[in-house]
Amino acid sequence: MNDRVPVVVFIGQPNCGKSTLFNAIAGFRAQTSNFPGTTVCHAHSEVVWKEKVYSIVDLPGTYSLIPQEPQEKVALTHIFQEKPDLIVNVIDASLLCRSLELTVELLELEYPMVVVLNMMDLAEKKGMKIEAEALEKKLGVPVIKTVATRGQGTRDLMDWVERVLAERRMPRHLRYSGEVESRIKQLTEILPSDFPVIANPRFTAIRAIEAEMLAVDNFFLENNPEFKRGLDRIRREISALREAPAYEVLAAERHHLALKIFEDCCRVSHARVSGLEKLDNFIMHPVLGLFLLLLIFAGMFYLIFRVGSPLEAWLLKPWEALRLGIQERFEQNLLAGLLVGLVQGVGGGVAIVFPYFIPLLLMMGFLEDIGYLARAGFLMDAFMHRLGLHGKSVPLFILGFGCNVPAIMATRILESRRDRIITALLIPFIPCAARTTIILALVAFLLGPWWALGFYLLNLVVVAVLSSILTRIFKYSSPGLILEIPSLKWPSLKNILQKTYLNLKEFVRFAWPILIAGSVLLSLLSYLNFDRLVNTVLSPFVSGMLGLPPGLGLTLVFGFLRKELSLLMMFQALGVGYEQLLSVISRAQLLTFVTFVNFFIPCLSTLAILWKELGRRIALVSVGLNLSVAVLVSWLVRLAFAIF
Amino acid sequence: MFGHRKNQAERQLIAGRVCSLLEIPQGQKFRILEIKGGPGLHRRLLSLGFHRGDLVALDGEALLGGPILVKNLNSDTRIALGRGIARKILVEPVDDNER
Repeated sequence: MNDRVPVVVFIGQPNCGKSTLFNAIAGFRAQTSNFPGTTVCHAHSEVVWKEKVYSIVDLPGTYSLIPQEPQEKVALTHIFQEKPDLIVNVIDASLLCRSLELTVELLELEYPMVVVLNMMDLAEKKGMKIEAEALEKKLGVPVIKTVATRGQGTRDLMDWVERVLAERRMPRHLRYSGEVESRIKQLTEILPSDFPVIANPRFTAIRAIEAEMLAVDNFFLENNPEFKRGLDRIRREISALREAPAYEVLAAERHHLALKIFEDCCRVSHARVSGLEKLDNFIMHPVLGLFLLLLIFAGMFYLIFRVGSPLEAWLLKPWEALRLGIQERFEQNLLAGLLVGLVQGVGGGVAIVFPYFIPLLLMMGFLEDIGYLARAGFLMDAFMHRLGLHGKSVPLFILGFGCNVPAIMATRILESRRDRIITALLIPFIPCAARTTIILALVAFLLGPWWALGFYLLNLVVVAVLSSILTRIFKYSSPGLILEIPSLKWPSLKNILQKTYLNLKEFVRFAWPILIAGSVLLSLLSYLNFDRLVNTVLSPFVSGMLGLPPGLGLTLVFGFLRKELSLLMMFQALGVGYEQLLSVISRAQLLTFVTFVNFFIPCLSTLAILWKELGRRIALVSVGLNLSVAVLVSWLVRLAFAIF
Repeated sequence: MFGHRKNQAERQLIAGRVCSLLEIPQGQKFRILEIKGGPGLHRRLLSLGFHRGDLVALDGEALLGGPILVKNLNSDTRIALGRGIARKILVEPVDDNER
């Protein structure tokens, strides 16, 4: 028998709840290897169901099998090249009609397939009655109803996955109208023997007719002049049938198939206007919507600050006591130094990062899940055009407030490479959760919330100015905005908690150890007096130019690993606890320090993702850009304080 | 199938006039006649479920020359379109009762 683990691929249009379904199933059992964002572009998990192992892959959403955006290419490469054993086509049942167009395309692959009607609750609310049996008959594949947010139907799905795989049930493609179908057949007959066939000859022929650029290069066509002539003739003939470009004729064929199926399998009665729709009118209102946008973000940070700062003060106490205790008990020796480093690293993670980090993650999760990000993009588009970008970058910037890494990954939704590069260069300037922590924990906690607000404004101004400059350098009018606005959905608490938990786990597993190790390392270095060396080398810059205590030189360097590290190390380097900080440095110095850390080169993981996504050159440009902006702006801050 | 109904008085018929998506009033039904512009734009709109012959309605506008919000009444989806793009989509008005 074949012992290979069968590969099951989840594919569907964006926002159909694929990932929620994936999580609901991956939670079933066994080793979830979920690398959020950083290492792979798709989530992948081994799932055990009834004592059999399945390898389940969650691909990024794609509207059709003709890639338009870089992220869709990821999905397609996977489907075309790594022939999955089974396709699970996830459909947002409330958008059945449009979603079926992708289903029709997927059926053309003739891979074993299962269709999942997800979000059934939403469809019912919209007054849609979908007859699954009728749909099954039309499509020739099993249809399963699910509500992924509540985990409904997932067991059913896995049962069908098992069955279809065991039976090796291959679906049949649906037939286009005769005159089109016969032309496709003609092309399959003249496909050269060395033509790279995807899935089957018919699918390959359709792809060849549709594709602007062929899957094979022009070189191939030049060597097969006969095929090229045939292809051109068939394209012309198809085009003449409907007086439209050949690709549109084929798309229209699928559209009509989908429409017919939809009409035969789904009855729609009048739907009530839901509360969410009324809310949506308010959110999308040209004036009120913008107010709300401001209010949401101001409110969000205010709330995080109100929750975070008392919590921080309360959590800091025991660690401070512990630190002082150690310093009193032991003399100035290596052990004491290392212990203090350890306590500050561990305590810093608990008391400084968690009170701000967790609330921010929760709120970002809420905004993401309800569908607010695309709406912010719509509202802000006009402003973004003034800065040379368009509204599609806005959701990415907002994501960046959570963490820069997934935001840079998500730049794949931008069609033009120019927009992608500029957005990716700007994202590292967005204060991520780590930097928000520093801003709130230092500036707001010690100087007051207004200072923090001012700091945020400064930050946004810097991003805006940089954007104008960058877009002027890479001149090119960006294509207009085309952005789907998905319907508002009540977020599920479970989903948000799960996302927050995953991010938190990531922090505890990767970032916290770095914080602790960095803290201990600094103790060691200062015991060996190595820090003096680095600080002396850096002092013309650190104290000469920025006017900071020379002792902070090394901490700035360490900020590259994790931004919070600079914060923790600052206390250590200055040898004071939290509350006494302002007794050793001035306000101006504090702000200069925070400014520098904030804009300083992207942290290690951000740099890695930039490198991977956009190449070494862009990553290095990003480092240079951040470094120069950090130096310039923090110097300006110092100057401003000197003058006023 | 879809919620809003305009009353007779409010409904002004622009009989037979072809215009771009930029010029249509909010809430009325229009049919997509033609999508001008290159195949890139055309394919994108197709994949988002906007075809020739689909019924659409203007659902909102952003400030300061920002994008418009277009609802596809056939597939019940909404997209935001920049003005440059909206200008390239030609539509004609249809009667309210038609589908």
